[in-house]
Amino acid sequence: MARASPASVSVPLALERLSVAYGERPAVQSLTLAVQPGEIYGLLGSNGAGKTSTIKAIVGLVRPVAGSIRVFGLDALTDGLAVKARIGYVPETSMLYEALTPREFLEFVASVRRMEAAVATRRMQSYADAFRLEAEMEEPIATLSNGTRQKVLILAALLHAPPLLVLDEPLNSLDPRSVRIMKDVLRRYVATGEHGVLFSTHTMEVAEQLCHRVGILDRGVLRGEGTLAALRARVAAGDASLEEIFLRLTEEQEGVRAAVDSLGDPSA
Amino acid sequence: MSWREARRIADVALAELSLQAVYAFRQGNILPADRSKDLGARSRRRVLQSKVVISFVLGVFALGAASLLHVKAADPSLLATIPVGLFESAILTGLFSIDIALLWWTGVQVIPTILSSGVLTVLEPLPVDDSTLHRVAGILYLRLFDLPALTILVLTPLGIGIALGPLAGLAALPGAVVAIVYALALSLLTGRFFLRRVQGSRGGGGRVVVRWAYLVLWLVPAFAMFAFITAAPAFFRSLAVLAAQGPSPTATLLAIAFPFPLAALPALVVGGTASFVILSPSADWALGGAALAYGALAVWAAVWLASSIRTLLFLPVRTPVDLPTASLSLRPTGFARAVLVKDLRIASRTPGYAFLILLPILDAGALGLLTYATPTQNPVAASLALAAVTAAALLATFFGPAFFAIEVVAYSYGRSLPLSNRSIVLGKVALISIMYLVAAGLIVGITLLRFFEPTTFVAFVLAELPAVVGAAFFELGLLFRWARHRGLAITNLYTGAWFALIVSIPGLLLASAPVIVFEVAQSAGVALGLGLMALVALAVLAFSAPLALGRGAS
Repeated sequence: MARASPASVSVPLALERLSVAYGERPAVQSLTLAVQPGEIYGLLGSNGAGKTSTIKAIVGLVRPVAGSIRVFGLDALTDGLAVKARIGYVPETSMLYEALTPREFLEFVASVRRMEAAVATRRMQSYADAFRLEAEMEEPIATLSNGTRQKVLILAALLHAPPLLVLDEPLNSLDPRSVRIMKDVLRRYVATGEHGVLFSTHTMEVAEQLCHRVGILDRGVLRGEGTLAALRARVAAGDASLEEIFLRLTEEQEGVRAAVDSLGDPSA
Repeated sequence: MSWREARRIADVALAELSLQAVYAFRQGNILPADRSKDLGARSRRRVLQSKVVISFVLGVFALGAASLLHVKAADPSLLATIPVGLFESAILTGLFSIDIALLWWTGVQVIPTILSSGVLTVLEPLPVDDSTLHRVAGILYLRLFDLPALTILVLTPLGIGIALGPLAGLAALPGAVVAIVYALALSLLTGRFFLRRVQGSRGGGGRVVVRWAYLVLWLVPAFAMFAFITAAPAFFRSLAVLAAQGPSPTATLLAIAFPFPLAALPALVVGGTASFVILSPSADWALGGAALAYGALAVWAAVWLASSIRTLLFLPVRTPVDLPTASLSLRPTGFARAVLVKDLRIASRTPGYAFLILLPILDAGALGLLTYATPTQNPVAASLALAAVTAAALLATFFGPAFFAIEVVAYSYGRSLPLSNRSIVLGKVALISIMYLVAAGLIVGITLLRFFEPTTFVAFVLAELPAVVGAAFFELGLLFRWARHRGLAITNLYTGAWFALIVSIPGLLLASAPVIVFEVAQSAGVALGLGLMALVALAVLAFSAPLALGRGAS
């Protein structure tokens, strides 16, 4: 196992020239980025840009073809279990044991996370209360709505208070109340200055409101990275929205115009 | 829309169902990056392989039954105490019962997959009319059973035709058709029951017990397939007793029980009522009436099947609303125990898995009772009890690989947790060991009521235990290695029969090795036999454990 430098031990996530491929098809190409302590980092990109592939590589679901992943200095490729113990993960789709109830599922997760019963119960109760999940806690997951399943996944990710949260489109399917709660939870989560959050989304408004820095992925390549102000400066657009910056960096502005023009009148 | 259109849509739905059934992407499974080519073709091939395996078993039964009929027809002195007509009808009764049980069991396996794959619900918002959706659901459902059903329809009349003559072969056809219709209807009926009472049942406390009780009730008919084979000798002895008594109202009453009247048609065609001995000449009216009634019930079942199929296959799972919520607390446990508890909880709402756990235990109970009924101090009964323990060990080993399938569900989420393959394997091996110990304990418990010889029985059970554990390590270790390299996904026994079989065969050999050693060595002394048995079992464990727990296993 490679030794981590003292500085890298405090860095929640560091990707170095990470590449992921499915057979011959590259999904992520030589991606380098870092999530700093106390930071919410937004990973932006169109569908198929490589956001989910990056996240799957971080949490150990796909093996990268090249590059390194370090979580608080630990190498994810050689020390997978220790890395997974430090991560709370919300997948893009609700992949759960459908035959279990949320309580049973969380009990399994708490066992795997080696949590104490009292702590696990207290956290589950407070999050279930906040997300108004108590009534569904004993119903099989197969019977729950998408939004409720998403809340269960969020609970499972937050249950052990991990130092790094890796969230793949976590606000999908949530009601406005839960979205607001989730945003506030994430802000408080990093306020201590030790934890980090990697947050993938294609909703620019959410990224603009929530993220300290964003990285813009396009066809597996990082096109730009920084705070909103830094990105505005880079594209030389003083008051541009994140959406405009995104389209400029991904060189899609003209493409979008041409696509809309080619559609003509959609009501015709 | 036309039937042709319905068939076209059903083809697409079947392709998607095959993909989801084999690879379970909707349930969260993912493949290694280099295994993403030709998934559609591969999944269809895998489903076909499973159908071929099931059809092969059905074919073996059909041709086996036909050979027995042929042997008895050629040599009536064989089982001379049972008249020819009665023998032929009894064999076909067994065959039709097994056909129903095996097809039904297939349905039990595949219906939860249809529901969880969501392939049909995708069609709901499309501009497809109601009658077409009905037809699509019907065609899709039939196609799941097509090859096995065709095997029954072709091989049963053909085999009987060759054994007893073309007319008798033709007379077997109604029984084969009715067996298929009943099996398909029972699969759907139990599928609906599964949706309402099992999959949708809330968790916790007494509800777990209720769910397991429902599952036992439900599995008893499927267990008939196994029990019928086990109890065949006792069944023939009862027939001989009945035949010796001659015609009686009891015999007539037994003869009109399903599926005997339909199974009796070929014998009636060949030899008439006289060939049965137990039936009075007027009983052919009772037999004919019962056969017609079962035929009419089959027509009704087919109509019900056609009208209900869409309702069931398109419905989401619903929970009862009148159940209280349990107190919200979490009790985390160790890794392997967490895997074990999770698997048991999943099995309590998934009949396919519940079947795997309950079958060895139900079988143990049946064999234990059979031993109990055998005269006291009969050495045959004692060896029967030991054979029953062996059967429990082999059944637990045989079904072991299927528990790997649970890990495929939500596989990608599970792999994001800090849980090693080693812990998962340990949890599953614990489950297989518990199945064996409960089943063996049941047999020993019942047997000891008649033969108080605890040392031998308990020593036999314990001597075999390391081999059961070792075989389970071997099977699961192999599957996890395959899964890592090839993205293997077994989501149920219907689609995973091929892999389950490949892994089970060496597993069965490992589990049976100590028993073979005992059989050979016991003539030199039971203690020596047991000692050698334990040594071989420990050797099996020492050989297999590194495969699952050693370097490169996780």
